[in-house]
Amino acid sequence: MTLEADRGEPEVEALRVDRYLESILVARERGAVAVLHDPRLDAELRATAERLSSHLVRVHPSFRFEERLARRLADAGDALRLPAAAGAGLRIPQPPVATRTGAFDPVDLLDPVRLIDDDDPFGIRARPLLIGGALTSAAISLAGAALVAWRLSRPVHPMVRAIRAAHGRAGHQGGLA
Amino acid sequence: MFRRVKAEEEHRLVHLDRDRALVEAALRDPAAFDALYRKYLAQVYSYAYYELGSHHDAEDAAERTFLLALGALSRFEERARPVDGEGASTFRVWLFRIARNVVANIQRGRRRHPVAPLDYAAIVADPLDLEGDVSRRQEAGAAWAAVGRLPPERRRALVLRFVEEMSTAEIAGVLGRSEGAVRVLIHRGLRAVARDLGGRRW
Repeated sequence: MTLEADRGEPEVEALRVDRYLESILVARERGAVAVLHDPRLDAELRATAERLSSHLVRVHPSFRFEERLARRLADAGDALRLPAAAGAGLRIPQPPVATRTGAFDPVDLLDPVRLIDDDDPFGIRARPLLIGGALTSAAISLAGAALVAWRLSRPVHPMVRAIRAAHGRAGHQGGLA
Repeated sequence: MFRRVKAEEEHRLVHLDRDRALVEAALRDPAAFDALYRKYLAQVYSYAYYELGSHHDAEDAAERTFLLALGALSRFEERARPVDGEGASTFRVWLFRIARNVVANIQRGRRRHPVAPLDYAAIVADPLDLEGDVSRRQEAGAAWAAVGRLPPERRRALVLRFVEEMSTAEIAGVLGRSEGAVRVLIHRGLRAVARDLGGRRW
């Protein structure tokens, strides 16, 4: 136990608990009952681990939900089979997806490496998403296409058109000067 | 894609991710993602349920997680080195990191619109158990409630350990902490639950 000798008491106990829990997992995987017996492990901790092991059960979703989401994923998968050339390297704007719980930015959620700080778990900033190749989310692609179509098709207010024209003229004059 | 740091580590990396064949199949044909979905739906759903305490929100979180994972699968990288330990970077860890972000986003919305606290005892009740093993249900309800009272990171660590049956290395990957830090989180969490349950004489 050289490993333990170099550590403080709480750390050693944490290590013992870890080994004990690991033995529970291994025993379960093998369908065995026997787990590591370490007399140095605190009896109260062992009893609590056993209780949590038997009471913290996995919760399954309804079959109806499972099949509905499976169909949705299959539809999204079908859309992903589009030729790579169609969306290769295309940068599309990401419209926010309205949800019951507020604004939802799928782009940040796609970044599993970005860790959430508990003190500031939502320092989320919008940024464009680079869609590479054919493997792109159907939902995102469709949403992006819909936004572009909407922006192209919506009627522009005459005042907006006038402001754009004025900006265009100013830019042109500035460029000449 | 799977990044191979060194040729000699290739075999080890194959060993690290049990889902490699499924992931590669899904990259070739998105329809094959269904196998990964079926394999991990209950796990992701459970994680979301323990975090959010509502079937509706757990469904919402699971749906977002899998749609995002399908769309981003080509960006999945197995980053672990052998020294990181078995299972430190796998599809499951990657998926749970997405789930963690999704759940956090839903929780942020909840802070704006608070909901009623979770009734743990009601959740544990089995509708098919007509006789009703009352004491067992009470014990389970007490355990759930004690875990629910823990600080978020300790609770997450315990749920990933006991419900999702993840190794310390995997939990470290999901939470973005060292294995030592995860061991301490779990130890402190267990100690707090033991005190809580002991004090309440369940």
